[in-house]
Amino acid sequence: MTKRAMQEATFLILTALAGGSQHGYGIISDVEQISNRRVRLRAGTLYTALERLRADGLIEVEREEVVDSRLRRYYRLTSAGEEQLAEEAARLQSNARVALARLKPNAGVAST
Amino acid sequence: MTDSRRLERRYRRLLAFYPRAFRREHEEEILSVLMATAANGQQRPRLAESADLLKSAIFMRVRQTKVPTTWEYRHAGVMLPVRLLTGTWLVFLTAVLYGYGRGGWWGVLLVPSATLQFYIAYRLRHPRSEQPPG
Repeated sequence: MTKRAMQEATFLILTALAGGSQHGYGIISDVEQISNRRVRLRAGTLYTALERLRADGLIEVEREEVVDSRLRRYYRLTSAGEEQLAEEAARLQSNARVALARLKPNAGVAST
Repeated sequence: MTDSRRLERRYRRLLAFYPRAFRREHEEEILSVLMATAANGQQRPRLAESADLLKSAIFMRVRQTKVPTTWEYRHAGVMLPVRLLTGTWLVFLTAVLYGYGRGGWWGVLLVPSATLQFYIAYRLRHPRSEQPPG
């Protein structure tokens, strides 16, 4: 895969799955929580992303369940997915650190 | 018919826009997400939700469309010069039409066609990196 920055929705979906496998609705609620209610994924967007992540081998189907006659498919991160998420998180962290340090040079020094 | 049955039927109508293979695999799953996020007593999909489903369906259909086709990759040796010649011919035609002041709306048709020909020709130049399976 290319080294282009990951879209925020993709990043949040992978982050949601980093805590353990989840089904579609679980991912939506978790992403909403992770992002402090800022990002509310819609079903179409979610499945476009899941389909691509699966094709890229970053996630896989763990198991299926039927609850109240509704199908739930649980997804989990693959090791490639974990690697990719860790890389992206490190990249974001390093950018954010520089940004914060330059905005408030003293606070940056004090906190680290 | 209850509200939820009605809503489900309307969602299914929207999901019909997805490619068949995707629906076979995911329709029930997406439907369960849609029904879970729906408000109590909701009878029809929200506008933003419908727009999102349609956008996603179109996106998936476009992504499935292979340009150039597998057939063209397999016959890249012949297709590359054919595409290049067609593209050049279209550019020539456009130039002549406009040269004689008869271009008008033809450009809307000719310029994208020529661009497409060159784009396909360019893609065919790298059959190894872009070769689809099978």
